[in-house]
Amino acid sequence: MSSTSGPAIRIRDLRIHYPDRALPAIDGATAAIAAGETVVITGPSGCGKSTLCRAIGGFIPELIPARVGGEIAVDGQSVWDMDSARIAQRVGTIQQDPDAQICTLRVEREVAFGPENLCLPAQEVAARVDECLDAVGIDHLRHRETTDLSGGEKQRLAIASILAMRPEILLLDEPTANLDPDGAKGLFDLLGRLRAERRMTLVVVEHRIRPLRSMAPRLLVLDRGRFVTRHARGWIDPRDLGARAGAPAREAPSDKRLLRVDRLTFGYDTALFRGLSFDLRRGEIVGLIGPNGGGKTTLLRLIAGLATPDDGRIELDPGARTGFVFQHPHHQIFERTVTAELRIDGPERSTGEFDRWLAAGRLERLGDAAPLSLSLGEQRRLTLLTALRREPDLLLLDEPFIGQDRRNVEWIVTTIRAHCAAGGGVLLVSHDVALVEALADRLLYLDREPRFGPTREVFAALRAAARTPFLPEFWEGET
Amino acid sequence: MIRRPAPSPDAGLRAAGPAANLLLLGGLVGSAFASPSLIVRGVAFGAVLLLAGWSGVGVSRFLRSLRFVLLFSAILFVAQALSVREGAALLDGFLRVTDLGLRSGAGITLRFLVVLASSLLFVSVTDPDRLAGTLIQAGVPYRYGYLLILALRFVPFFQRELRIVREAQRVRGLAVSVRSPAGIRRAVRYTFLPVLVSGLMRVDSIALSMKGRCFGLHRRRTAPSAGRLRLADGAAVGCVALLAALSILAAQEGWA
Repeated sequence: MSSTSGPAIRIRDLRIHYPDRALPAIDGATAAIAAGETVVITGPSGCGKSTLCRAIGGFIPELIPARVGGEIAVDGQSVWDMDSARIAQRVGTIQQDPDAQICTLRVEREVAFGPENLCLPAQEVAARVDECLDAVGIDHLRHRETTDLSGGEKQRLAIASILAMRPEILLLDEPTANLDPDGAKGLFDLLGRLRAERRMTLVVVEHRIRPLRSMAPRLLVLDRGRFVTRHARGWIDPRDLGARAGAPAREAPSDKRLLRVDRLTFGYDTALFRGLSFDLRRGEIVGLIGPNGGGKTTLLRLIAGLATPDDGRIELDPGARTGFVFQHPHHQIFERTVTAELRIDGPERSTGEFDRWLAAGRLERLGDAAPLSLSLGEQRRLTLLTALRREPDLLLLDEPFIGQDRRNVEWIVTTIRAHCAAGGGVLLVSHDVALVEALADRLLYLDREPRFGPTREVFAALRAAARTPFLPEFWEGET
Repeated sequence: MIRRPAPSPDAGLRAAGPAANLLLLGGLVGSAFASPSLIVRGVAFGAVLLLAGWSGVGVSRFLRSLRFVLLFSAILFVAQALSVREGAALLDGFLRVTDLGLRSGAGITLRFLVVLASSLLFVSVTDPDRLAGTLIQAGVPYRYGYLLILALRFVPFFQRELRIVREAQRVRGLAVSVRSPAGIRRAVRYTFLPVLVSGLMRVDSIALSMKGRCFGLHRRRTAPSAGRLRLADGAAVGCVALLAALSILAAQEGWA
């Protein structure tokens, strides 16, 4: 609990401006968070949520250079006057990617890492390790190598290793962004328990708010660098896509089969799937959901010919081509300029062709820009454009909506629908089950017992099997 | 594509402390250099294979990992055997092979094999976390000790990133060859840069994570406990003692 009677965190007229950006990331934000309170900070991508987390955690400007103004005080003390390591004993920060915050090679050592840095006696370190592993429910994993853990287990480990520092405030920056629905639900349950048992101040940056409702959080909406009371919704409601509740948004898929997967078997240590069969028709979007490690990306790699099945067949319509858009755009960016990036997929076939492509991707003034200097949304549009430029019949999309704001999601949806309308097909991997429900004609749920069929029927089967985190209604709702 | 499961962390030398494994490595390498006897070197190489099997590495898999070393060893043996002209001739013609040449080739080859195989065994069975802890306890500044752990944390990361980037190249139809200067330039741009970008992003996150847990706050930090001695520690020390005894015996008896 906080040691003072004032707010645990006070933010007053905060301004943060990164040196390489034209506009400030935070522009006059003011808020107060009481000790023991649970606050959810939400808002569109790029509105400054992560910047705010890093500033409260003391990483800006000490580790991340930026011009700062205004004030952030933790327990009445300005973070600008404290070393980030000192702040860390009051504020524990959990980052988006659980894998990127693990420093050691074994679970037990990871939890001990912080207390050892505090020079605590070895017995005290051991006691904290035991307590924190138990608190997050991964005591059985204590001797495992950190590289062997699932995404959900890694996020629990990250929380345990922060709890071992005994912070009063827990700051979580989109902690479910890289988790499957099962892992995300488990994390939300854990946060609820920690709040009840430890009365910690919880600040959670999150797009998906409904599962947090049981904790009765106060909602703070950040928009263009400041907290707002009335806001234009910056994220997408699947109902806006007009494909639900019997509102047909586009023509039904044709009967011409584009892809047939027949009794496919593949695995590493154990078989990921055995005898998997499904098909995809021209004009159709097939959604692909399931837990992390279930083989979704591997299935896309097999279809793209990047891996060889152990058994079974993958048949594409003769002459059909695939285009593959990876989860992280920077993996598919190779050239120095945006135009040169388009040129990889072939020379300009007609005058102004590249300009038309750039205009289609809302990148018209960025032809000479370095692709890696673009925003995440612009990079995503560019990688989708380069895939489309190869004129694929089948588009394989791996989590295209992660980290994308409303405008980008709408652009991606419009683009893939246009691709289907032109006779192409889309196999779409996404953890956003509500969006998948709105978009997919048929659904493949990939787990130990795969299910394939019309979207409604697969969700009905998952409902009957009580796979709650994979149901759209678990995530949907007013925010 | 079905791979065998990872060995138990308690199998054989994996259960031994880093100090015991370091001593064993020193003993094996020392015997290969200190004793001129082929028998001692042969026993040392045999011991490495047995210990690899005992530690769950698998002798055939271990030998597969050493296939380039074995190939180079064979070349080394042939080159040495042919270059020594002294001794009784076993083959005398266009090529001259002598008994001394064969012995010299076998000696150098076995020494080379013992050094590399024991080093591979050490890397395969030693927990880097515990090794770093041992180094820190031995007086190495903890920032340097953690460099080792972080470097090892990045090995699987870079392997994965490299695979993804190569697959991205295939998807985009990019042929990357290093057979010409232009090809090397393309390889650097198309492979090295994307992997570097991923690496830098990862370094940023890990730096925040370490700073967020007070790394570097004090000059010293609590050292992890060394752990109790186990049978595997005794086995490693016993193995070194046996090799030392064998080396002394070989010297006294004048074994070749």
